[in-house]
Amino acid sequence: MSAATTDHPTQSTAEPLEFRGATKRYPGASEAAVDGLTLEVPAGEICVLVGPSGCGKTTAMRMVNRMVDITEGDILLGGRSVTERRPDLLRREIGYVIQQVGLFPHRTIAQNIATVPDLLGWDRARRDDRVRELLELTGLEQELASRFPAQLSGGQRQRVGVARALAADPPVMLMDEPFGAIDPINRERLQNEFLRLQERVRKTILFVTHDIDEAIKMGDRIAVLQRGGRLQQYATPAELLMQPANDFVRDFVGADRALKRLALLRVRDVDLWRPDDIPYRLILDDAGRPVAWADGDGRPSGAVTVVERDDVLRDALSDLLAGESQYGAVVDEHGRLAGILSVEVIQDFLAPETVGETR
Amino acid sequence: MSMPVPLAQSGGGFFRDRAADSCVADNGICPGWILDNLDRYTTPLAQHVFLTVTSVAAGFVIAFALAVLAHRRRWLVGPVTNVTGILYTLPSVAVFFLLLPITGRGSLTAIIALTAYTLLILFRNVLAGLDGVPEDARDAGRGMGLSDRALLWRVEVPLALPAIMAGLRIATTTTVGLAALAFFAGAGGLGEPLEAQKAFKTNVLFAGGLCVALAVALDAAILLVQRRLTPWTRAA
Repeated sequence: MSAATTDHPTQSTAEPLEFRGATKRYPGASEAAVDGLTLEVPAGEICVLVGPSGCGKTTAMRMVNRMVDITEGDILLGGRSVTERRPDLLRREIGYVIQQVGLFPHRTIAQNIATVPDLLGWDRARRDDRVRELLELTGLEQELASRFPAQLSGGQRQRVGVARALAADPPVMLMDEPFGAIDPINRERLQNEFLRLQERVRKTILFVTHDIDEAIKMGDRIAVLQRGGRLQQYATPAELLMQPANDFVRDFVGADRALKRLALLRVRDVDLWRPDDIPYRLILDDAGRPVAWADGDGRPSGAVTVVERDDVLRDALSDLLAGESQYGAVVDEHGRLAGILSVEVIQDFLAPETVGETR
Repeated sequence: MSMPVPLAQSGGGFFRDRAADSCVADNGICPGWILDNLDRYTTPLAQHVFLTVTSVAAGFVIAFALAVLAHRRRWLVGPVTNVTGILYTLPSVAVFFLLLPITGRGSLTAIIALTAYTLLILFRNVLAGLDGVPEDARDAGRGMGLSDRALLWRVEVPLALPAIMAGLRIATTTTVGLAALAFFAGAGGLGEPLEAQKAFKTNVLFAGGLCVALAVALDAAILLVQRRLTPWTRAA
């Protein structure tokens, strides 16, 4: 049964999304909530709208599925204006995930997930197959299908919210602070899970958050908005951290942006040293795995800090600091020594940035 | 329109039975007499059920429609609450007599008065139920492409059911009590045999007891339906 569903590759479509001078003015308000927002999200990428509260990021997002009507300008989905479509039909083609999840408390998990397929009139077999597939895709157990939302944990409910948004394979997803109500530990897990999921489904995603760290982690591109939905910078996370376009972005990204850059890189991305480059010697076992530092006589003298090549650079630095060592042994996926990570290397990596810093 | 039980006939039987039974002669509480005279109560009981169910059903249809309207157009809440509030405070016996010149004696008069009486309770509960639907569920529903109508029937009304059913239970038990006065409008009901021999303890007790039993039974029936319709409220 489940083999039959997993044999099908996850079907997936994605369309580019384009804001063209999209503007929202509320009657009686002196300032536009969103003022001439122009940006393009290529198909299959995550674009994060980030900014302080009241910057218009949620309004901009809700204009895409016409939960908020566009006053001026246009938004194109797959090259077609969203204003040409009937709102309820348009919305069935756009996944929608909100912070409070908004599961229907009176419907089972399966019924919740099948909301849009039911609206589209899918037959029972296709609908049930899809529910099974999505439970699996989002890491939920099949037994949950017949439960009610109140019987699930917050993290499980959030996963159901994502599964429900993906149900009819929409080309675009809108996500409004989807992990905002989750505790920090589970948030991190859900973010990682979601990124893995995105590797498989490759949707065009508009993701709203007020948290710059979340934006850097989740976004292929980040749009920093100021009050009135005015776009300050639209760039990849690395660009944003290295070259903030103006003081607003620099302030918003934070004084620790150099450190944040470390979160974007992995150990394998930096130049590793050879074991001979340092004044200490490592003791390796037969398989080539580092065991300990050696003293002058080749006897074990101290614990070695081991980091993996796939570790995020920030975590590796944090391990080195915790181990109070200047050098760490970098190992490959088999645990064999692959090089030496020096605090100096990380310093060098940060150097051009710190020199270029005006403050 | 159902016929009230002819008083002369039942009175005749009453005195004959009373002469034959010392318990009845002493105006005691006589189970034997009740068993012998059950048929006196069947028609009034049926009328009582009919009046209650019809009035609550009619009241529910009207109040539900008003509440759905007021839920979308908030300015209607005040006027509807005021009008149904006035109907609620009118003494039902007075309404029976006010209606007599227009609708005459019979069930219709009673049903109109009883229906009017249920409106406030039902309107307020349906509205509270619809207003209590979590905003995030509404937003998610709209965002996934549910039309206003689909949102109402698939999300809002089901989620309002606990409040709606609570209103139905109050309205039903209240109406069972008020329907005991329906005989003033010539609509029969359990008030009729009760009033006809109100000096005879056994009769008063049994007719009154039937009213209470009916209220309890209808209440339990609605509660049972509610439990069937709202399984999610017990999931935690």
